[in-house]
Amino acid sequence: MNNPGELITGLALIAIFASSLFYVLLNFKQESRGARTAARVSFAGFTVFVTLASMLLMHYILNHDYRYSYVARYSSTDLPLQYLISAFWAGQEGSFLLWVLLGSWLGILLMFKARDLEPQVMLVFNLNNIFLTILLIKQSPFEQLVFAPPDGQGLNMLLQDPWMVIHPPVVFVGYAAFAIPFAYAVAGLWRRQYDTWVRRALPWAVFAFVTLGAGIIIGGYWSYKVLGWGGYWGWDPVENASLLPWLAGTALIHGMILQETKKKLRKTNFVLAAFSFILVIYCTFLTRSGVLADFSVHSFVDLGITGWLVLFMLVFTVVTLWVLVVRARGVPVSGKGEPWSYFSREFGMVTAMILLSLSTVIIGLGTSAPLITRMMEKASKVSTEFYVNTNLPIAVAVLFLLSFVPLLTWGRNSVSRLLPKLTWGVGGAIVAVAVTLIHGYPGIEVLLVSMFGGAAVGMNLLLMARLMRKKVTLSAGAMVHFGVGLMFLGIVASSAYDRSEKVLLPQGQVRSAMGYDIKFKGPEFSPEGKGLRARLPLDVTQGDAQFTAWPDIFSEQGRGGQPKRFSHPEIRRGFVSDLYISPVDFDPGRKKTGPANQIRLKKGETARIHDYELTFTGFDVSGMMGREGSHDMRVGADIAVSYKGSEPVVLKPVITVGQLHGPTSRVKLPGPEDATLTLVNIEADTKTVGVVYDGPGASAKEETEETPASVIAEVSIKPGMTVLWLGTFLILLGGSIGIVRRWPK
Amino acid sequence: MKKSYIIGAIVVVSAMVMALYSFRSTLTSYVSVSEAKVSSRPVQVAGMLVAGSNRYDLKKNALVFTLREDGGDEMMVEYNGPKPANFDDVEKVVSVGKYNQNKRVFEASELLVKCPTKYEGRVKGGA
Repeated sequence: MNNPGELITGLALIAIFASSLFYVLLNFKQESRGARTAARVSFAGFTVFVTLASMLLMHYILNHDYRYSYVARYSSTDLPLQYLISAFWAGQEGSFLLWVLLGSWLGILLMFKARDLEPQVMLVFNLNNIFLTILLIKQSPFEQLVFAPPDGQGLNMLLQDPWMVIHPPVVFVGYAAFAIPFAYAVAGLWRRQYDTWVRRALPWAVFAFVTLGAGIIIGGYWSYKVLGWGGYWGWDPVENASLLPWLAGTALIHGMILQETKKKLRKTNFVLAAFSFILVIYCTFLTRSGVLADFSVHSFVDLGITGWLVLFMLVFTVVTLWVLVVRARGVPVSGKGEPWSYFSREFGMVTAMILLSLSTVIIGLGTSAPLITRMMEKASKVSTEFYVNTNLPIAVAVLFLLSFVPLLTWGRNSVSRLLPKLTWGVGGAIVAVAVTLIHGYPGIEVLLVSMFGGAAVGMNLLLMARLMRKKVTLSAGAMVHFGVGLMFLGIVASSAYDRSEKVLLPQGQVRSAMGYDIKFKGPEFSPEGKGLRARLPLDVTQGDAQFTAWPDIFSEQGRGGQPKRFSHPEIRRGFVSDLYISPVDFDPGRKKTGPANQIRLKKGETARIHDYELTFTGFDVSGMMGREGSHDMRVGADIAVSYKGSEPVVLKPVITVGQLHGPTSRVKLPGPEDATLTLVNIEADTKTVGVVYDGPGASAKEETEETPASVIAEVSIKPGMTVLWLGTFLILLGGSIGIVRRWPK
Repeated sequence: MKKSYIIGAIVVVSAMVMALYSFRSTLTSYVSVSEAKVSSRPVQVAGMLVAGSNRYDLKKNALVFTLREDGGDEMMVEYNGPKPANFDDVEKVVSVGKYNQNKRVFEASELLVKCPTKYEGRVKGGA
């Protein structure tokens, strides 16, 4: 059989279709056990086929089966194991397979937990899976090449990082999970069970919040730690794409909690559940259809699935609207005519939901700008200013609410009863404002964020502590809110008070920047995969404290013949601020050339000088000693030398990289004449060496200046980063506790 | 209508109005080099990086390079921010910013670099 992967994927589609049909049958004949078993078995079959297909793809990748286009495009034989694994989801096709896989496993869980709502829930959930499987067949990871290349193209260096390994799976679990509250919502409304679906779907909604949230945060963390631009969020369409369903999901969770307690917002929650799910598809459409290709740093290629994605969205939008219209009148609205108390937890929560939805719509508008404007005039995008200007007031409002609403009870509250409880909040606000103003007035909006952020932190910290003492699970919400407050304080600190300075560091000399004395000790090269990593040790001193920073630049041969460079910063974390050192540019320096011929030889090239013929055959890295901090990195060059046409002898001059000259770099040339060859330069990325010939026939050439190696580094102090990450961690931890809290017994 | 609905509607509508205003004022559209040179608004220009023209100018504290668009028009671009990850291997570069008539250079606030279309491994794993 030629392509088992495609066959299995086809079988999976058949299985999911069958399962859906049986669930439709079950919808009309509730009692039919046969139909129920058939539906479940088909779904289990679907899961088995998808799992088999995934295992097959992983098998091909791990075994370097380059007959498959996907394997050839995203992996190579020298890739370390963990990156081979992550090559599975490095490209479009594989990531779809991952999404379907995760969805299928979640579906098994759902199948057992949905109980009486099972037929409808699974039907809607399956509809989602049908579409994804169709997309998977259209964009198959099992496409074969006419002939298998000897090696793959390898995984992009930016993806070769542990955080980038886990980021996509976590995000896809989140995407897959958002289908579940939607499925429950449709099922509940269809079956006229307007409240039970909320109780069942709530833990799933929180699960989706936690997983997608974790994925987003990991993405930001990777960006900060690895990319070297010093930021963690760029408002790029791909980033925003994952944020939109998450914000909508957050609004949904609040609405569902409100519905559980006060039996309100039934129709709103249905719409929100649908909205968050459809946003997942919309954002997949934005990022995978190529419509934003010219407006984002992320490379997009139109893979021809745009039409299907649009259909996907339309179908679900129609389903949602249809169910809403058909059932809307039957939805009981409790407390009609009863005025809402403004000073109540309900009102606060609804306001929060409105703010979150507003933010979702606004960010969605900005992200979709190229699409919208394309239809009107020229395709344009909005700058990052747009997102900041519009979301800052919303953040102020949200933090304002967070500073006292969680203290309110359901129903009416009195200001006088509330005031004494606000001490911690007020205290937090005062501290935050004081600290902020000490560092400089940042503008009124940012100051307000700081003030209410501090209040939210203080108040929710108190609440969290109090609730944890009663019962840990009760503190989930307070922990999340506490985390949100911390996160915003961290964002304010790192955005408004970020300071940096660029400095030129010639090797061996001390220069100062941002209050630190820095000395570049000299580069250390080590070959890695297809390229060369230049580690750039910097001795950093401030007062009594001293440490060595190791930013680095990795370079490899790019496709156009130009070298590609990837730089990594060094980050010293502190509780108050991070010291961030990013290599902006690196000049390896030029060696002195004596009054003799210097020849540059590319690998495989031959040069003739006097009576010698020299061919550079390759690097010899057997003498590399890879100890941390050791300066004994030696790289040799194998040079075949033939004297007057005789049998070539292979000479192996070796240089100790990082030092300008070494004893072993000079070798005597074969033959009776007194001639030597000195290895003076290696360039791994272009695979050339520079050698100097000294002996008879050498011409007296101009000496060239020796220039030392140097690094241009950007040294930044970023306050509040640790507070930021702590805040995000607490959001995820609190959310996870929330899943446990809401899990139905 | 209930008072709370009215207040809510006012808040939402005013927020959307502010958002739309910000939207229009921050819209940057694609223009050609010649249009960029005379425009007073922030714009985006797409073109090829002229090989070998990029260097780091420590005096100006910026990355400097020459952008050449399809028609052959060229302009100098100055970018103060961090060098984008794949800058040296790019095919197409998009500069977002404004042209400074006096200095005769395009001051970019943002650089988008795109790698050859059949990109070997995309920056984000297809998210």
